[in-house]
Amino acid sequence: MQWWQILILTIYAGYEILDELQIYSSLSSPVAAGLISGIVMGDVKTGLFIGGSMQLTVLGVGTFGGASRIDATTGTILATAFAASIGMKPELAISTLAVPVASLMVQLDVLARFANTYFAHRIDKNIENFDYKAIERNFLMGAGPWALSRAIPVFLALAFGGNLVKTVVDWLNTDVKWLADGLSVAGAALPAVGFAILLRYLPVKQHFPYLILGFVLTTLLSTVFTNVQTLGTGLAAADKKFAGTFNSLPMLAIALIGLALALISYSQHRSGGSSKPSSSSSNSNTVDDSNEEEIEDDEL
Amino acid sequence: MTNYKLTDADFKQINKRSLFGFQLGWNYERMQGSGYLYTILPQLRKIYGDGTPELKEMMKTHAQFFNTSNFFNTIITGIDLAIEEKDGIAGKDAVSGIKAGLMGPFAAIGDSIFASLVPAIFGALAATMARNNNPVGIFIWIIAQILIMVFRWVQLKFAYKQGVELVTTMQDQLNAITDAASLLGVFMVGAMVASMINIKIAYTPNIGGVATSIQNILDTILPGLVPAALVGFVYWILGKKGMTSTKAIWLVLILCVILSALGIIGKAH
Repeated sequence: MQWWQILILTIYAGYEILDELQIYSSLSSPVAAGLISGIVMGDVKTGLFIGGSMQLTVLGVGTFGGASRIDATTGTILATAFAASIGMKPELAISTLAVPVASLMVQLDVLARFANTYFAHRIDKNIENFDYKAIERNFLMGAGPWALSRAIPVFLALAFGGNLVKTVVDWLNTDVKWLADGLSVAGAALPAVGFAILLRYLPVKQHFPYLILGFVLTTLLSTVFTNVQTLGTGLAAADKKFAGTFNSLPMLAIALIGLALALISYSQHRSGGSSKPSSSSSNSNTVDDSNEEEIEDDEL
Repeated sequence: MTNYKLTDADFKQINKRSLFGFQLGWNYERMQGSGYLYTILPQLRKIYGDGTPELKEMMKTHAQFFNTSNFFNTIITGIDLAIEEKDGIAGKDAVSGIKAGLMGPFAAIGDSIFASLVPAIFGALAATMARNNNPVGIFIWIIAQILIMVFRWVQLKFAYKQGVELVTTMQDQLNAITDAASLLGVFMVGAMVASMINIKIAYTPNIGGVATSIQNILDTILPGLVPAALVGFVYWILGKKGMTSTKAIWLVLILCVILSALGIIGKAH
């Protein structure tokens, strides 16, 4: 690994948490971390795969009320950096590096949130003295613990962890092949956790028909697409006159079907809003449609 | 009390501070308390005048515990400033009440829409495309977030003008949006369960002298049954007491290693 690669990844690790706290451009997401680390390491394909897989693994893990959560972004940075520089299989990098790093990082997130309590107390003093500049300074200093809580571990791991990781990977690939294979299978299965967490959080009982619809549509279509692909590739190999390209199922198309269903539900919800059995707005349930329209006009 | 009227320059300053600085001081004791004070400090100084006891009182009030969604915080700020500009220190109790009363509901709505549903939907799309070596989904997500930043920017002045009644008019609209977005979320989870979990049954027992692929038999019933069963299992254990998402990740990891070592499951493709 080159010194400039370590430098850029360290700076990015410090930046990503500030981005997430502030503008939330989504550059702090695991999948974006995969792309950026992949570009820096010169292996975009590996970065995108690791980032994409980690994104799916934590899909339903949101921040609620400021609770710390598993840090899949930092996990992705380190896994991509080592996978690209040592030549690890991406699935193996996910279960041996990305997941352990991601769950260890929770502790450092807690530490950063603790450290900032110190600045909050200094602000109390500054208020007493009408020291406006110091209030602002002590507030902005909070960025320090946040950024360092990510940048320091990433720097230490990248600068000094290479040999250790290489030794472990060599051992996994030779002496304990069964473990390496198992970890790869685990890497492929981990998105299941992300989906299950998301279902726990979403009103799945209310929307259960759409869960079935999304699953069956996709499983049938992807079987058809995969079989056509296999068939076409086989035919093209057997007969040179048989030409044509065969792609896999485009997920954007499936997402657009879902979007259409959501839009239908939204317009029905708005026009038939008065009939929905909601207790919170029971006092406005009696208003007629014209009144509903009026409220929306005010909104726009 | 200087009878100061907020100008567009003030709104711009608050929005800048909110977008680039609201949560930097986040801590366990007051959470976003100092962030709330920081975003409106210049305006408080203009409303009450530097060095006045009223200013000190209000600075103390605004440095207290506060925590809401950082996608909706300026709605509360807008309503707050409309009151303070009109009533000054006399509005202190009303302002404290509104802040305490609104931060919970807005935290709930904001966390569900912007911290969970939006990342789930756009993250799923970006991740699916990324695993096929295509970064376009990441840029689609960034564009969506930029639109959300615009939304965060315009809501301050809107809330300032509408005042307290805004909250009731917004409720129905937000309910409809949350409902439609969660429908899309559920649909996409179904689609991703079917396509993103690459494991299969590797076990091929000899039945009557013939190696029988269990996976082939399952595929004739319905393709994708193994991923669906795995998600169903994780969903079930997540409902157990004391189970966290991190524990569930480790459990699946260990389980897969054991089942793979026994030759029961393997990677598909």
